[in-house]
Amino acid sequence: MELLQYHIKCRKNEVNQAVLLPGDIERADYIGTNFFRDSEKIVENREFHIYNGRYEDKPVAVCSTGIGCMSAAVAIEELTNIGCKYFIRVGTCGSLSSQINPGDIIIATGAIRGDGASKEYISIEYPAVADYRTVTTLRNRAKKECANYNLGIIRTHDAFYMESPFAFGDYKKRVSIWAEAGTLAIENESSTLFVIGSLKKVQVGAILVAAGNLISGEKGTKEELQKSIDKAITIASGALVDLQKREEKRI
Amino acid sequence: MKKMHHLQIEPGEIGEFVIMPGDPGRCHLIAEHFENPQLVAKNREYVTYTGKYKGLTVSATSTGMGCPSAAIALEELIMSGAKYLIRLGTTGALQKNISLGDMIIPSSAVRLEGTSVEYIPIEFPAIADIDIINDLVKATQEKNLKSHIGIIISHDAFYMNPVFSEPDFLKKEQTWIDSNVLSVENESSALFIIGYLRKVKVGSMLTAVANHLTREVIIDEEKINSLFHQMTDLCLEAFKTLKKE
Repeated sequence: MELLQYHIKCRKNEVNQAVLLPGDIERADYIGTNFFRDSEKIVENREFHIYNGRYEDKPVAVCSTGIGCMSAAVAIEELTNIGCKYFIRVGTCGSLSSQINPGDIIIATGAIRGDGASKEYISIEYPAVADYRTVTTLRNRAKKECANYNLGIIRTHDAFYMESPFAFGDYKKRVSIWAEAGTLAIENESSTLFVIGSLKKVQVGAILVAAGNLISGEKGTKEELQKSIDKAITIASGALVDLQKREEKRI
Repeated sequence: MKKMHHLQIEPGEIGEFVIMPGDPGRCHLIAEHFENPQLVAKNREYVTYTGKYKGLTVSATSTGMGCPSAAIALEELIMSGAKYLIRLGTTGALQKNISLGDMIIPSSAVRLEGTSVEYIPIEFPAIADIDIINDLVKATQEKNLKSHIGIIISHDAFYMNPVFSEPDFLKKEQTWIDSNVLSVENESSALFIIGYLRKVKVGSMLTAVANHLTREVIIDEEKINSLFHQMTDLCLEAFKTLKKE
């Protein structure tokens, strides 16, 4: 009997190998229930809700990570231990660019390592880079969906109340260095997921929806955001299908 | 129009597509693949040729060794109108499955150099342009050539590079080997960072002339030159695809 993973309470091969990684528990439930066929909830423990299901003609899964790199690292480590290979984070972020409005979609090519967890893995010079095949597949699916998408570097950090519209003091000043460098948006999980992906040789990408613009202060309505999030989930699920097909073709 | 301080070129004298070897002596090898190549400028370690390739205006400019001089070359090329730039270079492999002469297409680079840190803090990732990566991969696949795609290291001190400094050199490199870093070289990370900041497309294509694990090296200049001819062909094909996109 293979080892039961400490937090996600699963064993080898119990979770399908292509996994969506939302932060929010409820978004995992929403994806499992509304986007997958033949879906089955297999775990509900702490911030980790896991569903297996099918999308188009391929097996897929979803697992919530909770907020932040600490719990996201636990999720991807344990999922990798039981055989998962393809990961796409689906989440929300704050736009840092005047070109990116609330509801717009962002595909990350890499992330600024403003988090603490990834530093425990490898020194800070090492790049948090998304898998280029996953980026390309996400982009192809985004084009198919006619989504208004942006491709580039994002910032991952730990302290929400230092860099958000709800932050203490002058948060715009704190993020201006990153905005001037062409950073598209800020969020809380991707950098560690990317670093662990490179270290464990699994494919990791991220697709995000701008919930608001941190510079202009503009926010989207709940309905508009949900529409964009649905689109991002559709693109990411499709990408998980394409990545599996691509691997089969190669073999 | 004023000439660029170091490259001694001016806008209009180069194409949007530029191949950047480290060694000025390799520019003429690359220019042999151009139609009607012209030597545009020669100053310090910077040599620039411009010519045509299947309708595109293309240039070759050397960067010299290391990120300080490479950063100068890239900045001045961008100011002169370059938009798609590929570094062509040699590298030392850190993984057993990389054979001498294999092609390496970096997805990104470990920032073990000083130059890029003057541009942006160290936590910012040094990433190659996704279109250049895909187009270089496509060009190598079409020729049935072997390539490795992944993370490389760019560093500054050649003689701290353990192969040349210590008998038990692998100890120092073990962390990077274990972190699936493919190979070591000296320019890509600053080029990737500056490319992103200046909103131009930058990538690299390297060939392994040494393997730190097997301790094999290629010393035959003829062999290295033939690898550069091969990589030049692949870059020019990638430029053609980039133009279409």
